[in-house]
Amino acid sequence: MRHRFADCFVVTVALTVLAWTHASAQTAVVERGALPRTADGKPDLSGVWQVLNTAAWDIQDHQAALGVPAGQGVVEGNVIPYQPWALVRKQENFKDRRTADPETKCFLPGVPRITYMPYPFHIVQTPAHIAILYEYLHAARNVFMNSEHLSGEIEWFMGDSRGRWDGDTLVVDVRHLTDQTWLDRAGNFHSEALHLVERYTLVGPDHIAYEVTVEDPKVFTRPWKMSMTLYRRVERNVRILEYECYAYVHEEEARRREASALK
Amino acid sequence: MRNPAFRLSLVTAALTVLVWVLAATPAAGQEGGGGRPQTVAGCPALSRGFYPCAKPKAQAFNPPRTPDGKPDMQGAWTAPTATGSQNIEDYPGDTFLGPARSLIVDPSDGKVPYRPEWAAKRQEHLKEYIDPMGSCYAPGIPRQVYSPRGLNILQSPGVFAIVNELSHYYRIIPTDGSPHIGNTIRLYMGDSRGRWEGNTLVVDTDNLTDRTWLDIVGDFHSAALRVTERFTLIDPDTIFFETTLNDPKVYRQPWTMAFPLRRAAKGHEIMEEACYEGDHDLPHLLDNGFKIYLGLTPPK
Repeated sequence: MRHRFADCFVVTVALTVLAWTHASAQTAVVERGALPRTADGKPDLSGVWQVLNTAAWDIQDHQAALGVPAGQGVVEGNVIPYQPWALVRKQENFKDRRTADPETKCFLPGVPRITYMPYPFHIVQTPAHIAILYEYLHAARNVFMNSEHLSGEIEWFMGDSRGRWDGDTLVVDVRHLTDQTWLDRAGNFHSEALHLVERYTLVGPDHIAYEVTVEDPKVFTRPWKMSMTLYRRVERNVRILEYECYAYVHEEEARRREASALK
Repeated sequence: MRNPAFRLSLVTAALTVLVWVLAATPAAGQEGGGGRPQTVAGCPALSRGFYPCAKPKAQAFNPPRTPDGKPDMQGAWTAPTATGSQNIEDYPGDTFLGPARSLIVDPSDGKVPYRPEWAAKRQEHLKEYIDPMGSCYAPGIPRQVYSPRGLNILQSPGVFAIVNELSHYYRIIPTDGSPHIGNTIRLYMGDSRGRWEGNTLVVDTDNLTDRTWLDIVGDFHSAALRVTERFTLIDPDTIFFETTLNDPKVYRQPWTMAFPLRRAAKGHEIMEEACYEGDHDLPHLLDNGFKIYLGLTPPK
């Protein structure tokens, strides 16, 4: 009897230790010494990053279609809490998406869609100002640190971004957006009242856990979140290049006019 | 005036105006007519006088430094004397364009030394084509640096970045010794690589296209253009900028522009200029017979 109890006890302790270790691994923040840091002690987000998901086509779970890869969504709970009128609008957007999506006109994709466009971006990090510079359409977001939003009726495609550090997480508050951008190609949309809170957390030298809380009292019934991983582009000598969308559209138009003028 | 509340509101109004005026005043430099300074960092502000004065100051000045020991040029900057985005040469002005003073310090006549067979090209551009920047295309190099609306410089170890307000163009210049990218990738903003020589950032740009102009009036280059730029602080609020353009296909010799960059007023932030999204001119220009510039065509 004593022998069997001892076995049981050892097994229980072993299982408890195993469970505790597994739980720690799931929720562990990388220890302080393991992250690259800047001279002012912050996690160093500098470098070239890119997502590996298909949120640009559809931020929710979706199947493949011609030209559209399948994807597991980035919306937490996979539900976007539209107000009833807005859900109808989303469905109309989806039907007309090939022409109604402003991104098809080579307009700036807005925030947070620029983050998950399938193109890399470069973070340049300094204490007072973090520039996020995107290959797509040479979009630029100037995140001014520890400062107030501008006041007034301002609507910018890429918003007005104000950053601060919350421990080892960069928190970026974004206001002053427009209603001229969609959240993806599937017709998910917002108004100019959109307010975002982004959280960038370096979870290892080559991975950022990116999370954004989306709030828009004109369109949604409550705030909701998207989350995804940003992967460092680790190739030697990698740099972001150019995707000058409208320049290519105009070039085709110019060549077309030239050709018809010659007739 | 006996009413203390009225007196207080008058004082508040006066202080508000004073703060606004002070905030709008640029850093040291004597104002000339029209808001352009006559002198900058103790040198004549216009290029031909600025250049020989700035060179010895570039050797002498000991700049503030970043944590990794490099001259600290970070912040918001403007090019207040540079009318170069309109015309890099002397120009008296007309109904459409303002007067300009040449940014060119070599050759000494202040004119772009085009090869004779290319000399008439600029007029052809001006008459027939739309300035690429007018359609929100890239400024290219070095036009990025004298573009209107100012720019921000950010520095972190191995990186020197320049971000423009106009059309949100930017350039990321590695200073880590990495090589140029492969030469079949051509970029409107080229591929820039920087290195520090003493207190000067020396930048070499390759991989350009022939799709950009140097100014509104059609000054041009081929895709063989190589640009060298030198950025040096000569006082806390002035960068001495010098650039040499090398394009043996269209120029008789390399030639050089120089001008000061001045620090913007304290608290200045560059804003968003969503150029393309707000552009309504292109269809009208096309309907009036102007053409989109698709690159350098052979001389007629």
